[in-house]
Amino acid sequence: MESFDLLMSGFGTALTPTHLALAAIGVLLGTFIGVLPGIGPAMAVALLLPVTYGLEPTGAFIMFAGIYYGGMFGGSTTSILLNTPGESAAVVAAIEGNPMARKGRGSQALAAAAIGHFAGGLIGTTLLVLLAPTVAALAVGIGAPDYFAIMVLAFIAVTSVLGTSRVRGFAALLIGLVIGLVGLDEMTGQQRLTFGSLQLADGIDVVIVAVGLFAVGESLWVALHLRRRPAEPIPVGRAWLGRDDLRRSWKPWLRGPLIGFPFGALPAGGAEIPTFLSYAVEKRLAKDKSEFGHGAIEGVAGPEATASASAAGTLVSMLTLGLPTTAVAAVMLAAFQQYGIQPGPLLFQREPTLVWGLIASLFVGTVLLLVLNLPLAPVWAKLLKIPRPYLYAGILFFAAVGAYAVSGQVADLLVLFVIGVIGLAMRRYGLPVLPAVLGVILGPAAEQQMRRALQLSDGSLTGLVNTPFSIVVYAVVAVVLLWPAANALRKRRAARV
Amino acid sequence: MKGTVRVSPLAAALTALAAVLLVPPLLSSGDSDSTGVRGLRVLVPNSPGGGYDITARTAVKSIEDSGLSSGIEVFNLPGAGGTVGLGRLVNERGNDKLIMSMGLGVVGSVYTNKSPSSLADTTPIARLIEEPDIVVVAKDSPYTDLAGLIAAWKATPGAVPVGGGSSPGGPDHLAPMLMAKAVGLAPRDVNYVPFDGGGELLASVLGGKVAFGVSGIGEYRDQIQAGELRVLAVTSGKRIPGVQAPTLQESGVDVDFTNWRGVVAPPGITDTARDRLVTLLTDLHGSGAWQESLRRNGWTDAFQTGPEFGRFLAAENARVADVLRELGLA
Amino acid sequence: MSALTGNRPRFDRQWLREHSELGVCVVLAALGVLVLTDALSIPTDFAQRGPVGPEAVPVLVGGLLLLVAALLARDVLRGGKGEAEAGEDVDLSEPGDWKTVLLLSGAFLANAALIGLLGFPISGTVLFWGAAYALGSRELVRDPLIAAGMALVTYVVFNNLLGVPLPGGPLMGVL
Repeated sequence: MESFDLLMSGFGTALTPTHLALAAIGVLLGTFIGVLPGIGPAMAVALLLPVTYGLEPTGAFIMFAGIYYGGMFGGSTTSILLNTPGESAAVVAAIEGNPMARKGRGSQALAAAAIGHFAGGLIGTTLLVLLAPTVAALAVGIGAPDYFAIMVLAFIAVTSVLGTSRVRGFAALLIGLVIGLVGLDEMTGQQRLTFGSLQLADGIDVVIVAVGLFAVGESLWVALHLRRRPAEPIPVGRAWLGRDDLRRSWKPWLRGPLIGFPFGALPAGGAEIPTFLSYAVEKRLAKDKSEFGHGAIEGVAGPEATASASAAGTLVSMLTLGLPTTAVAAVMLAAFQQYGIQPGPLLFQREPTLVWGLIASLFVGTVLLLVLNLPLAPVWAKLLKIPRPYLYAGILFFAAVGAYAVSGQVADLLVLFVIGVIGLAMRRYGLPVLPAVLGVILGPAAEQQMRRALQLSDGSLTGLVNTPFSIVVYAVVAVVLLWPAANALRKRRAARV
Repeated sequence: MKGTVRVSPLAAALTALAAVLLVPPLLSSGDSDSTGVRGLRVLVPNSPGGGYDITARTAVKSIEDSGLSSGIEVFNLPGAGGTVGLGRLVNERGNDKLIMSMGLGVVGSVYTNKSPSSLADTTPIARLIEEPDIVVVAKDSPYTDLAGLIAAWKATPGAVPVGGGSSPGGPDHLAPMLMAKAVGLAPRDVNYVPFDGGGELLASVLGGKVAFGVSGIGEYRDQIQAGELRVLAVTSGKRIPGVQAPTLQESGVDVDFTNWRGVVAPPGITDTARDRLVTLLTDLHGSGAWQESLRRNGWTDAFQTGPEFGRFLAAENARVADVLRELGLA
Repeated sequence: MSALTGNRPRFDRQWLREHSELGVCVVLAALGVLVLTDALSIPTDFAQRGPVGPEAVPVLVGGLLLLVAALLARDVLRGGKGEAEAGEDVDLSEPGDWKTVLLLSGAFLANAALIGLLGFPISGTVLFWGAAYALGSRELVRDPLIAAGMALVTYVVFNNLLGVPLPGGPLMGVL
C-alpha cells in the first residue's frame, strides 16, 4: 500500500501542467524522431540530452521517458507502412504489418500497434511498480550460460521465419551472421573481416544493416520493377479495429508484456530478441497459421506490446540497480549523473519525488501515446498516398541523413549502400531479408555469451549448463524440436493401424 | 502567388541553389557576429552519451557559462575505440580550431586496432580529470580483503575470473593485468572476462558470476553505499574520499593506476595557438562552473597541461604497450 | 538428377539466364571461402582463455556457407527458383529496369561524394531530386524546390535544433 500512496503522490507531480506538457512534448518528439529511419530511441534521447540541461531533473526525466516510449512507437510506424523499420526493435513489426498495409489494412495494423504499445506500457509499468525489487534481484542472477540458452532458443525460433524455401532462408541467416562477424572480437581484441579498416573495427551497426537491407534495398528493388501503370489505389480504410481484429488481438496484447518485461530487465536482454520471440510464440499459438506472412494481426499486436513492456523492464534495472540494460538506459543513466543523482538501491529512498513522478509520468505518457496516435493512425496511413517518386526519394533521403548524422562519416553511407545492394539481390533471388537482420542481432550476442560462459567455468563445458535456468530453457528447446517429430511419428503410426 | 506566376524550370533550379547555398551560412552567422571570435570545434571520438562525450559537453558548457568563449561546437566521430577520431585529428595538421576529448582508453585502442596514427602524433593540451578503478566483490563473496583474494588468485588464476567493463586494451583490462604483474602472476594466466560497459559487469559482480570486478567507481557508488558491494582496494595512489578501502600500494601491490580524460590538439599547430588553447583550459579549470561540474559528476580533478601532460602521455603509452605486448595484442 | 544426366543441359546464354541464381551460389561460396581464410589467418600468438577462440565461430559460419551454397546449387539445378519478392509498387511482369536502379544509385552515391565538398544542403538536394527524377518524376519546377526545402529543413532541425552538426556548404564562414 505504501507504494500505492507514493504512486499517487507521483501522479501529483506528473499531472502538473508543466510536467504534463513536457511528457506530451517528449512523446511527440520521440514519435517523430523514431519515424525517421536510422534514428532510434537511444539516438533520440542522446540528441535531446542537451535540450534538458535547463530543466529541473524531474521535468527532464519525464520528458526522457516520453521520448523513449514515443520512439519505440514511432519506429514501428514506418516499419508497418513502408517496410522500412526505423530501428532494430521495429523490424518484427514489418513481417505482418507491411502485408496488412499493402492489403489496405494499414490503419488497423497501426491501431493494433498503438494499442499494443498502450497495453505493453501499462502492464509493464504496473509490473514495474509491483515487482521492481524482486525482478531486479532475479535479473542479477541471470548469467552467461542462461543468455546463451536463450540465444539457442531464439535461433530455433528463427526457423519459423525462413520463408517458403528453407535453403534460401538459411543462406540469408548466414549472410547476417557474416555481417555480424565483422569487427574486433570482443573477447580477445583480434580483428575479424575488417581488412585493416578502422571504420569496420567496431563492426557494422545493426541499425545500418536493418535500414540498408530494408529501406535502401526496398527502394532499389522498387526502382528495378517500378509499377509504371497506375496501380489500384490502396484503400486507407477505417481506423477502427473490427470485432474480428479485436478477438484475435487481445490475447497477444496481454501475452506480449509477459515476454517483454523480464527481457527488458535483464542486463543483456534488450528489445529485439523478445519482440522476435513474441512473434514466434504468436505464430505457434495461432489457430490459423496460413495467414502468417500475409498480414496476420496477431503478429503485429504481440511484438508491439512486447516492445513497450521491455522499455518498462529496462527502467526497473536502471532505477533499482543503476544498471543500464539498453543504449537508451545508458544515456539516461549518464543524464542522471549530470544532475548528481546516482541510480541504485538507495534511489527510491533518496529521491522519492523524482522516481515516483517519473513512474507516474510513464502511465501518463502511455495514455498520451494512445490518445495521440489512435486518431493519427489513418493520417499516418495516408503516407502511402504520397506519389511514389517522392516517397522513395524521401526514404533514401532520411536513411542517408540518419546514417550520416549518427557518425558523421561518409564511410557509413557507403556501407549502407553496399548493404542496400545486398538487399536488392536478396529480393531478386527470393532470399528473405528478415533472417539476415536476426543473424546480425543474434550471432554476435550468442557467440559472446557462449565464450563468456566457457571462460567463467575456466574452460569446462559444464559451464554452459550449470544453472537451473539454462537447463529449463534447453528442456523447452528439446520439446520444441521434438514436438513435430513426435507428432509425425504418431500420425504415421495412426496411419499404419 | 505561385499559382498566378509561371515559373520556368531554370528559375526554380536557381532559387533552390541560392537557398541551399545561402540559408545555412546566414543561420549560423549569429554566433560569430556577437563575439567576433570564430568558434572552436571539439571532436568527440565516441558516441553521444559516452564518457568522452559527457566530459567534452560538460567542459564546453562550463566554458560558455563562465563567458570564456562562445560558439563552440561539439561533434561526434565514433569508431574503433576512438582511433577513427584520432586519425581525423592527426590528418587536420595545423588546424588550431580543433581539439579532441580523449582518455586512457584511446591509448590502448591504438594498439588493439592497429591504428596508423598514435597519440604521439598529437599536440597535448591538458589532462582534466581522473577516475580510479576499484577492485570490488559482492557482499557475500568469500574474499574479505585483498590479501585473501590475491592468494586465491595466485593459486588458481583460471578459477578466479575477473570481470571488467572494457574490451582488451581498455582501462578495466589493463588494471588487473598490471596487478597480476605486480604480484608475480603472468598476465596471460589472468582469466579476464570483458563485459559491455559497466551495466552487465555490475550484474555479474552482484550475482557472483565473476570472482571480482575491476571498474571505474562511477556507477557503483550507490551499490557500495547500500552495502551490496565490498570494495577491496582502489587502484589510485590516494584513497577515495567516502570509500572505506585501502589503495593497492597500501595492500602491498605496487600499482598506481587511474583512468583519466584530457584534451589533445592536431599536430603542427603554432606555439601561440597551443598556448591559447592551454590558457583556455586553464581558465576553464579555474572557473566556478567547472568546479561545480566536477562535484556534481563525482570526478576527481587531475589538471595538468602542456609539456607535463605530454610526458605523462608518453609514460602511459609505454606502460600500456608493455602490458599489451606480453598479451600478444601489440 | 535426370536434368543432369538424361537431358544434358546446354550451357548457352539462354540456359545461363534461366539459371542466373547459380550466381548466388557462387557469391555464397566465395563469401564462405573469404570468411574461412580470414578466420584461419587470425594470429594465434595472443592471450586467450577458454576453449573457444575468435576463429571458431567464423570457421563454423564459413563451413555452413559452403554447405548452403552447394545445397542451393542442387536446388537450382533441379529446377527450384527463388521467388522474387512481390510488393505493392513492384510489377514483376515487366523485365528489370536497370537504368532506374543505376540512376537511383547515382543519386545516393552523389550525396556521399558531395556531402563533404559542398555540404549537406546541396548534397541532400541532389539526393532527393535525383532519386525522384530516377523514379520518373519530371516536375522540373516543383521537384528542385521540394528537394531544397527538404534538405534545408532537415539541416536546420539537425544542426540548429538537435545540435548534430552537418556540413553547411562552401559559403559557411564566408558570409
